[in-house]
Amino acid sequence: MNVAKLLRKLRYEKKLDSGQVEFLLNLQERRIFSVHRELRFFLYIGILLIIAGAGLTVKQYFVDLGDVAIISALTLCFAAAFIYCFAKGNPYEGGEVASPNIAFDYILFFGCAFYSMDIAYIETQYHLLGDLWENYLLISVALFFFLAYRFDNRLVLSMALSTLAAWFGFTLSAHRFYFENYYRLYAIAYSLIVLCCGVFLYRIDIKKHFLDIYLNFAAHFLCIALLSGVAEYKILSLYFPALLLACAALAFYSVQVRKFLYMLYAVIYSYIGISIVIVDQIHRQTFLLFTYFIVTSMLVIGLIFKLTRRFKEQR
Amino acid sequence: MKLNLYPPQQEENIYIRRQAQAWQRSGLITEEQLDAINGHADPQLRQTNPFFRILFFVFTMLCAGAVVGLFVWLLDFKDANFIAVMLICFGAAFYIAAEYLAGKYLFYRHGVEEALAVMGMVLFCAGCGILLSENHLTLTQLRIVVPALLAITACWIYLRFGFLYAAAISIVALGVIPFQFNFSPAAERIMLFSVLCVIFVFSLLADKPDLEDFRKNRYAKIQACLLAAMYLTVNLEISGFIGLIIRDTHVFHLNAQLFPPSIYWPSYVLTFLIPAAAIYWGIKSRKRIIINVGLVMACATLATNKSYLGWTRYAWDPAILGIILVGLCLLITRWLNSGADQRRFGFTARDILQPEEGGITPADVAAALTPGVIDAQQPPAGAQEQYFEGGASGGGGVEGKF
Repeated sequence: MNVAKLLRKLRYEKKLDSGQVEFLLNLQERRIFSVHRELRFFLYIGILLIIAGAGLTVKQYFVDLGDVAIISALTLCFAAAFIYCFAKGNPYEGGEVASPNIAFDYILFFGCAFYSMDIAYIETQYHLLGDLWENYLLISVALFFFLAYRFDNRLVLSMALSTLAAWFGFTLSAHRFYFENYYRLYAIAYSLIVLCCGVFLYRIDIKKHFLDIYLNFAAHFLCIALLSGVAEYKILSLYFPALLLACAALAFYSVQVRKFLYMLYAVIYSYIGISIVIVDQIHRQTFLLFTYFIVTSMLVIGLIFKLTRRFKEQR
Repeated sequence: MKLNLYPPQQEENIYIRRQAQAWQRSGLITEEQLDAINGHADPQLRQTNPFFRILFFVFTMLCAGAVVGLFVWLLDFKDANFIAVMLICFGAAFYIAAEYLAGKYLFYRHGVEEALAVMGMVLFCAGCGILLSENHLTLTQLRIVVPALLAITACWIYLRFGFLYAAAISIVALGVIPFQFNFSPAAERIMLFSVLCVIFVFSLLADKPDLEDFRKNRYAKIQACLLAAMYLTVNLEISGFIGLIIRDTHVFHLNAQLFPPSIYWPSYVLTFLIPAAAIYWGIKSRKRIIINVGLVMACATLATNKSYLGWTRYAWDPAILGIILVGLCLLITRWLNSGADQRRFGFTARDILQPEEGGITPADVAAALTPGVIDAQQPPAGAQEQYFEGGASGGGGVEGKF
């Protein structure tokens, strides 16, 4: 039995109506072929290439082009994108809002990226905010949050959260990538703020579908910061119980909402944390080391088996 | 001879269930109708969700690796031959365990049997490699025999379990072999391309119209991988690009300009022909993955075109490619939407099937990284003043500084 035969059988059994079966057969036998996802993918790639090309051009030819040309061109681009979005966008709603057209989300993303480029260029060349230059990131964060919620755009929300992380001191440049104590505490603070924001907005029914993005940012920042603390202080600090607590919370949430991505995070982060502590305790005892990995990995496998069985029984 | 561990109807039922889930997610059928379909398509196999599958895979690998490590340490073998035999024995044991789990307990893409099969394959090949190296095989011979062995065992695992990544490992291992002979780089490329073409033809011959849907789907994925591999083999500028990234353009493979014109220009023509053929074939046979791979290859062709022709590359080239892509996408969308029932020749730009929610998508990650990349691209402060130093701006550059 294949899909087509089963659909016909269900039509005969009157479990599916004729119109439904006709449409599903058309889909299955590819007489109707949606290229929506492909178009979205290449639109996004196109926009990313435009942003990369513009950035490279500014970096390489800023002297030839001059500040006025660069700033006015970038301003024109992001202003045009924002004007388009406000003109064409659907009205605000607390729930999910469909985009008016296929390119809309990417035009808003393009506008935000060009805005970032413009502000970053002005700041690096003119230092308008002086020593307080990092605060321009906060202005960007506020703008991105507003736009993400106004137009229901996940991409811009991701930009807002990563810009907020930049304000906390996390950038892509290598010298900032160390998790020293200073950054570790900032990472914990950042993740708690993001988590509280996400949960609060979820509780008051504002764009509930954004919660996953908040949780992903919060979970990774928090767990990596706590892991770095465990790696440095081993068992002799609050980082270890905090990591276990965070992972337990993630696992609990995962079971409650049946989103198993969070279980994956919880198991991986907690296993690494516990292993760091245990391996430190059984230092240079090869037999115990191998035994530890055999026993614990079998334990984890057994636990997940039990969990899957429980879910199947409940279903 | 039937090699696959799972009866075809069971795998077909899994395919049916997946399709039905996608329809239900997209609002095309109700929950009750999904249950009715599931009732008719019970695969009777033990499956799990993708996240638990990853966990099972990772921890089974860890456990199996630790068991082997513990044995090697406990028995304290000094002789490489003994270690090799032990690795082969462990490899065989893990493989048998994988077969047992799949056959007796009906594990299907469960992670545990996958990890055992993969670990079995790796240990078996490693053991054979050590055994052969101890028995007077030269390094060159070993570099040919071990990938060949890996290709055969991975192919066997694909045929038995149907793991697509095992087929991919097999193709990659086979692709490594031509580079182990002392042929010229051009001959190596021709040999690799020929091998890939032969596998591709075999996959076409095996892909008959009366096959089950799941098998057609699987063949389409393998054909897409093969097309991508063929494209990567012929596009000399992509490996040249790798050479630029790792800052080593002296290696023959990594500098396209060092290839003779008799190879260089046919490869240039092929970089257009392969994507065009893939897109045409994908559209004609309505194979989504082939169309997607064809389009990605077409983008790569446009990106490497200037390098092939020896034209100067400019910083704004990516932006132009981006504008072309966006323009084409908008044109195609408009053209499809203006057709009767927003359709032309069966193709539509409407969003019909919703993808599975995975929490966070690669698109979200790319968007999150964008501000950081923009920040990294900024010209350094005061760079304008420095630019006029040393005569970089022209003006004679008589002195180091103005």
